[in-house]
Amino acid sequence: MRLSQIGEKGQQAILDASALIVGVGGLGSPAAMYLAAAGIGKLILNDYDIVETSNLQRQIIHRNAAVGEDKVESGRRTVEALNPECQVEVISYQMEFDELREAVDSVDIVLDCTDNYPTRFDINRACVETATPLVIGAAIRLEGQIMNYQPAANSACYQCLYTHAYGAEESCELEGVLGPVVGVVGTMQAVQTLLILAGQGEALENRLLLFDAYAMEWQSVTLPKNPDCPACGKSK
Amino acid sequence: MNINIEFYASLMKYLPPGKSRFRREVKVDDGITLSKLIQQYHISEQEAHLVLVNGHFVNCGEDRDSRELAEGDTVSIWPPVAGG
Repeated sequence: MRLSQIGEKGQQAILDASALIVGVGGLGSPAAMYLAAAGIGKLILNDYDIVETSNLQRQIIHRNAAVGEDKVESGRRTVEALNPECQVEVISYQMEFDELREAVDSVDIVLDCTDNYPTRFDINRACVETATPLVIGAAIRLEGQIMNYQPAANSACYQCLYTHAYGAEESCELEGVLGPVVGVVGTMQAVQTLLILAGQGEALENRLLLFDAYAMEWQSVTLPKNPDCPACGKSK
Repeated sequence: MNINIEFYASLMKYLPPGKSRFRREVKVDDGITLSKLIQQYHISEQEAHLVLVNGHFVNCGEDRDSRELAEGDTVSIWPPVAGG
């Protein structure tokens, strides 16, 4: 490892680390591939969808030949082809909260690569309850957001920002998304995951990144912890 | 007084005509509050998920109602995003 910011110690931490990726779609594809390529020890891939032709424009972990197959199996194949040393486990159904909490508790870090508020709230709650770091990405059309939750720093969590579901749910399938936009966001999730695993997460605490591809603008915002947060607030 | 407004992503449609894709310099009443400004551009509370003044996050609800803007302020507004 030539990067002094990661160093031998950081690289070893990445090799020894395990991550749960919830959602093996547009965000989970680049995140899983970059983590595997970086040498992460173990990935648990969770998704209950099958690969469809319309996914291939942005979900680059899946190949045309995988259409009709479980996304987690298709994902496992790509990851194993990329790095056979990376141990891959798959969960091909939507977990109930207790099982999700158990899966979250079993890993070093979680990546929220999903596409809906209820699942995002469950993942966040499970991470808050088990004090597990979480890296969250979201994208649609030409816009994206990235944030993280670092329990050791008592940082703001997902529900400090999204206290409740905002309006009708919008999906990339219906609204459309420019493929590389989810790629940028999922890749940034991989960057943040590697920095946190390597012990370099301090600069990312309480930070929210906003990306508008059409304006070609990024904004970095300090996100205050919400004392009334339904997940990590004082009443919890 | 003059302020800068930046409406990002799906909120760009609320911008008055102009050249930039996301930014305008606009004339507003002196001491206008954030809530009034958001109403003036017909952006709903749901849509105005993240509001920043000069890059600093402003909570929704009371903070937006009481926060008065000053000459030269830049107000940035982002919609919620949950897809992936």
